[in-house]
Amino acid sequence: MKILVPTKRVPDTDQRIRVREDGRDIDDSNLPFVINPFDAIALEEAIRIAEQGSDVEVVAVGIGSDLYEQELRTALALGASRALLVETDTPQQLDSWNVACLLDAVVAREQPQLVLMGKQAVDDDANQAGQFLAARLGWPQATFASKIEFVGSQIRVARETDAGIETILVSQPAVITTDLRLNEPRYASLPSILKARHKTIERILASELGVIIEPRIELVEMETVSSERSCQMLDNLDQLVTQILEHAGGPASDAP
Amino acid sequence: MTGDSQSTADVIVIGGGVAGLSTAMQLSRRGSRVVVVERERLGNGSTGRAAGLLGQLRGTPAATRMLMDGVEIVQELEQLADVEIFVQTGSLRIAATAERAVEIRDLVAMGQSVGFDIEHLSQQQVAEKLPSMRTDDLLDACYCPTDGHLQPAELVSAYIKVGRDNGVDYRTNCPVEGLILEGGRVAGVQTASGPIHAPVVVNAGGPWSYLLAELADATLPTAALGHVYLTTRPDPDNPVDRLSPAIRDRHLRLYARPESGGLIVGMYGVDCMQYDMASLPVDFDMSAIKPRPDDLFLALLIDAAEKRYPWITPRTPMTITAGIMTFTPDGKPFCGSMPDIQGLYYCAGFCGHGIVQSPAIGVIMADLILTGSTSYDIDAIEADRYFDLDGFQQRDEIQQRCYEMQGSYYGKVEGKS
Repeated sequence: MKILVPTKRVPDTDQRIRVREDGRDIDDSNLPFVINPFDAIALEEAIRIAEQGSDVEVVAVGIGSDLYEQELRTALALGASRALLVETDTPQQLDSWNVACLLDAVVAREQPQLVLMGKQAVDDDANQAGQFLAARLGWPQATFASKIEFVGSQIRVARETDAGIETILVSQPAVITTDLRLNEPRYASLPSILKARHKTIERILASELGVIIEPRIELVEMETVSSERSCQMLDNLDQLVTQILEHAGGPASDAP
Repeated sequence: MTGDSQSTADVIVIGGGVAGLSTAMQLSRRGSRVVVVERERLGNGSTGRAAGLLGQLRGTPAATRMLMDGVEIVQELEQLADVEIFVQTGSLRIAATAERAVEIRDLVAMGQSVGFDIEHLSQQQVAEKLPSMRTDDLLDACYCPTDGHLQPAELVSAYIKVGRDNGVDYRTNCPVEGLILEGGRVAGVQTASGPIHAPVVVNAGGPWSYLLAELADATLPTAALGHVYLTTRPDPDNPVDRLSPAIRDRHLRLYARPESGGLIVGMYGVDCMQYDMASLPVDFDMSAIKPRPDDLFLALLIDAAEKRYPWITPRTPMTITAGIMTFTPDGKPFCGSMPDIQGLYYCAGFCGHGIVQSPAIGVIMADLILTGSTSYDIDAIEADRYFDLDGFQQRDEIQQRCYEMQGSYYGKVEGKS
């Protein structure tokens, strides 16, 4: 079995993110980049499936410039069997549709039985690439997975919806996008970090995949949302209660 | 409040970590008007990432007395602020190699000669105290029942509460941009929100301390070095009692202590991350440091932790805490003034032991600032011990000496001369 894990290289959102002065992008100087946390969960799940089964190959995919190599090496250190970099000089022009087109071509090349990817990337929160890819491939999709089990030739997926957990069965091949509670990604072991240093990261040019990148979405402007918070020191608990009641508009009479 | 009281003080303390907060609190209790200026928020920085291990028996009686007095100060703070700071778990030092066993034999002899509560423990006794730890390879161990750890957040809140009760003025999000100097004396600090004047300024800037010294064209031989520890989540299969003893394993270069049902395990490795504080963003927040999942120092830590606690693996659910420690060439802090600038005091370079040293250090700093002397033996920690000394003036040589000190913090690597 082959599992394809597309990943996105994103800024670490725990850092202070600043918008560039021209308002067209974020300022990425001093900004550490990571594998999109939802994709890291997908990668972890694929590695666990590989550890439990026999003859499972996990292929981590990245789309972007040379800078991506470090994150793909991280994927190898964590346990991916192979890493594939789809090189493009204009990663900023890639909207979800273009990503899906490129991944569609990668799937045609690699012939995986399963695509596991994050439900969304934490930089643009688009939540589209997985769905677009499934539609282009004509494969069943299971989004927001919080549990994945193989049942015969099918896959049982628990989906996190607003109303609760929905469990569905999908046939293979399929696209599954992962939610936060699916697993907790591991850290890389010392031997696997050292081994990953010597592994080859396969490269293919986006143009070689026969995909013409045509942005359908134009970024017009970015701006920082400022939150005006003020802090006030109180002397005692009674003052706190008074403040809370004032801000709540008086004692609640119809609390649920 | 008048404009005057806003911009003048008796003492300005730069840095709202435990060193600065303890100093400010002790000064205020003795009647000084103190302003603490902090670049970000109080108790963040190194203080906010500390494990707080308290091992009172040190290599010298002076250092041991400071830590033992610190416990008494903390017990007073617990009363004043109504919080639990000191958790008396006891501590164990363990040896799995002959060289480390010799260290333990010497330590027990030294401790007992000064009346410190310390005893040898058999392998079986260690196993009873710490069922979650591997013990079959131990050659010797010693136990100090009066040791434990200080809870950093509770200690910080107690310093702030008692300081505030005594009139300390805390200015947060207030980075220092310059020192005001007048004829070889310090006269105040320039901050982002205006000048503050005072005849005494304390540099308690932790990893930033050497940059603050440079603002006065002074040299402080400190360096900023990375440190990382892990905290496991509570695991029913490997329970860690809240009061199980802290351990130090100098062979594996590990320390560990209980934390919220899990275990903190940290490492003073031979190698570590080195930081150039000047190159970090002005609004750098230490709490945002996050090692990559394939970070080599983290992997070395987990690998060593697994040797002592076989249930800890790269897959164990855990939280990683990374931060910056301030090291000095000899592993001792800088406390006091130097001959070049009158009124400028230093209180920095605690080499990963700032939390537990801070209670007594606050008293020492207040003694020095208010009376010019202290009853403590401070020979080893005086700020001027490298003043104008060749080999301790250039940034690169300071960096190298501090880095080597960190690498030998848990002793030389066995088998190497």
